[in-house]
Amino acid sequence: MKRLKQVLHNGTRISLVLLLSVSLSGSSPSEKNSYPEAGDMPVYGNWQTFTTKNGLPDDKAYCVRIDGDRVLVGTKAGLAVYENNEWRTYSVEDGLAHPGVLSIDVSELTGDVWIGTLGGMNRWSAGRFETYTQFNSGLANDVIYSVICDGKDVWAATGGGAGHYDTYSRTWGIYTERNAPMHEPWTYGVCAGDGKVFIAAWGGGVIEYNTKTKKFRDYVDPDGEMELDVFPDDGVVHDITTGVSHANGILWVATYFGLSRYDGVHWKGYFDHDSGLLSNFINFLKADGPVVFLCTDLGLSTFDGDTWVSYHIKDNSHNGEILITNGEGTKKIESPTSISHNFVIGVDTQGDEIWIATSKGVSRGERLN
Amino acid sequence: MTVIDAGRQRVSERKIFENAYMMENVAFTPSGDMVLATLIRPKNLIPSIQVEKGWMMTHGIGIIEMDNNGRMVQLLTDEPNAYYSDPFDIVITPDGQRAFISHSGVDFISVIDLNTIRTLIEGATPEELDTYSHHLGISSRYVTKRIPTGANPKGLVLSPDGDYLYVAERLEDRIAVISTDKLETVKTLDLGGPSRITVARMGRRIFNNSGGTFQNQYGCYTCHPDAHEDGLVYNMAGKDMGRNLANTQTLRDIGDIPPYKWNGKNSSIYKQDGMRFSTILTRTEAFDYDQLDALVAYIVTGIKNPPNLRYNPNGELTEAQKRGKKLFYRTHDNFGNEIPEGNRCITCHPPPYFTNMQMADVGTLSETDDPMLFDAPQLNNVYESAPYLHDGRAATLEEIWTRFGENDKHGVANDMMKDQLNDLVEYLKSLRDAKYYMEEVKTYKADINPQ
Repeated sequence: MKRLKQVLHNGTRISLVLLLSVSLSGSSPSEKNSYPEAGDMPVYGNWQTFTTKNGLPDDKAYCVRIDGDRVLVGTKAGLAVYENNEWRTYSVEDGLAHPGVLSIDVSELTGDVWIGTLGGMNRWSAGRFETYTQFNSGLANDVIYSVICDGKDVWAATGGGAGHYDTYSRTWGIYTERNAPMHEPWTYGVCAGDGKVFIAAWGGGVIEYNTKTKKFRDYVDPDGEMELDVFPDDGVVHDITTGVSHANGILWVATYFGLSRYDGVHWKGYFDHDSGLLSNFINFLKADGPVVFLCTDLGLSTFDGDTWVSYHIKDNSHNGEILITNGEGTKKIESPTSISHNFVIGVDTQGDEIWIATSKGVSRGERLN
Repeated sequence: MTVIDAGRQRVSERKIFENAYMMENVAFTPSGDMVLATLIRPKNLIPSIQVEKGWMMTHGIGIIEMDNNGRMVQLLTDEPNAYYSDPFDIVITPDGQRAFISHSGVDFISVIDLNTIRTLIEGATPEELDTYSHHLGISSRYVTKRIPTGANPKGLVLSPDGDYLYVAERLEDRIAVISTDKLETVKTLDLGGPSRITVARMGRRIFNNSGGTFQNQYGCYTCHPDAHEDGLVYNMAGKDMGRNLANTQTLRDIGDIPPYKWNGKNSSIYKQDGMRFSTILTRTEAFDYDQLDALVAYIVTGIKNPPNLRYNPNGELTEAQKRGKKLFYRTHDNFGNEIPEGNRCITCHPPPYFTNMQMADVGTLSETDDPMLFDAPQLNNVYESAPYLHDGRAATLEEIWTRFGENDKHGVANDMMKDQLNDLVEYLKSLRDAKYYMEEVKTYKADINPQ
């Protein structure tokens, strides 16, 4: 048996609902519910937290990537792999380029794992780490904020430009302000979709690269205002972008000043004061189908263009809270389990499972509805 | 050894046979209990003078025990005073009792008793297996017969019933048919090759045969597979001993670009492969004049660069390669300063071979090197000649300048942005056979000697 508190957006408590739940296993209580106010949006719960006490090499986790039956976590102290209910850490001694693992992607073509670190990039292929650095290869820079696989191509957002590696021809490309419409070479995120590659360029908005025409174009904040978004929905909300993700024909752009959505014609901005977004400070985002997952400094928000579902730890409590925001307001639901920390840095989903990386531990949740 | 999951079509594992290389072929036993592959175990970092003591290059097989957690074992097929170099192919009889190995450097087939090997390694401790991997005498337990063949036996195949072994005698243009019952050649199938053996053809046989080295430890082919290079660095200690590392160089299309060796001491291939070669490297009788003539004839005429299909399949440079070419030919740095002529890429590496055949100091002499200048190497197909520099210290072309070019003595490059260095490297990777640059030579010479 468990209790859920239902609280209206204005904070007025209207009811206390007691729910009986039957646990088939007879172990931990289940949070299963239909959550009709969430519509088609997935709602996650039954959070399980992993820290150094459970085998993580460090509580500071930068990224997470689900790869079939295993989960790859980039931490401050190495690559942690969760498989068969056990954690195993791979370190510099094993061939990792640097202990700080910031980004991970898996090639659908080969199954190779590409790892972006603070000191170079690894290809982890069938148990063997191969290291690429700015010294031994054409890699743009050793600080890899983001790495993605797009067919045979690997793209990396680095501190010295966006890097491209064609694994077939084994040729490298570097894109900076010298050959692309960037403000400076510092890039934070990269994604691919619909024959294009999108680069989150610090101070340069979003750089779009057409893989067929080999042409660039940029999307910047038209108002040019760095302190606030003067004209709503006129373009990307800010030129300082921290991440990009593309799915279902929609480009989502993260900034430290809000979220942008671009459908190829129109831009739409979302902020913490006028939507269900927990915070304008977005560290990372990932779109999966119609849903975008937003890692903020105040918790995890998810959004499908209509409905928001967010997760955070309640103040002065170890309990979690689910916030569902739709056209009718925000519903707050207390949860007996919570994400491990509100400073969320990475997220990945697969089926009914979600994993998030935070500044204090890794959390695994499962879909409740 | 790369393990591929055939169902998923994915590489599933990369297994490393420590201290081994040149694994040319692999075979499963019919029951699947073992995987066997040919291999060589080089001792490339001990002084090359070691060859006269034996055990410089050893040859054998690598075994993966599928029933024993994938345990990896190495066993030699050599004997204490007789080496069976350059093992190439391996096949296993349908009953899983015997294996046959072609030794392309000594013209023999070894017959291996696999049950003896199973017994030998079963229950052996890791320490014992390590001893076995070095042990020249242990092969007498499982090598049951050596069958002589024609020149350069390579590929093997067994008849489906296992009664006959077919051997591709590569430099005989002939197939040998060996009875697996009698363990002797019972028939040969002539493939219609030339009946007259030319001097160059004879040289090719010498190149691929280890008969010119003390106890047949290795042939030219061993360190120069496919007449190229094996990617290893050898300690070519001279008469004063010590440490003198030398990165193996390609032999492709080198006839017109003397001198030879990194230190340029050999002015001709005759000198390179003559008495000096015997003194330093093979430690046995030098080639006689006929043999030397033949070997030089083969090296000068018979070794071509393969097409550069990876980076320049048709002569059309990519945009990055075009930009890199400008950097290669440049006379001024990014700041507009004129680069001294001796410090430009094109000065020491002009087409068509991209070497001026002169000696130079590129700032890479190490404390253990004999004081010397280095012969500017050719750059045709340089993309497939890693590692780089005289002692192989640069694992990639980039490292020549990122890690070992801090003084700008190996061409001025420290003014370059990273994308410019990438372009330069892409251009270097595009370089192909010298014949494609004959016109460029005229342009280049006209540029540097304007009328």
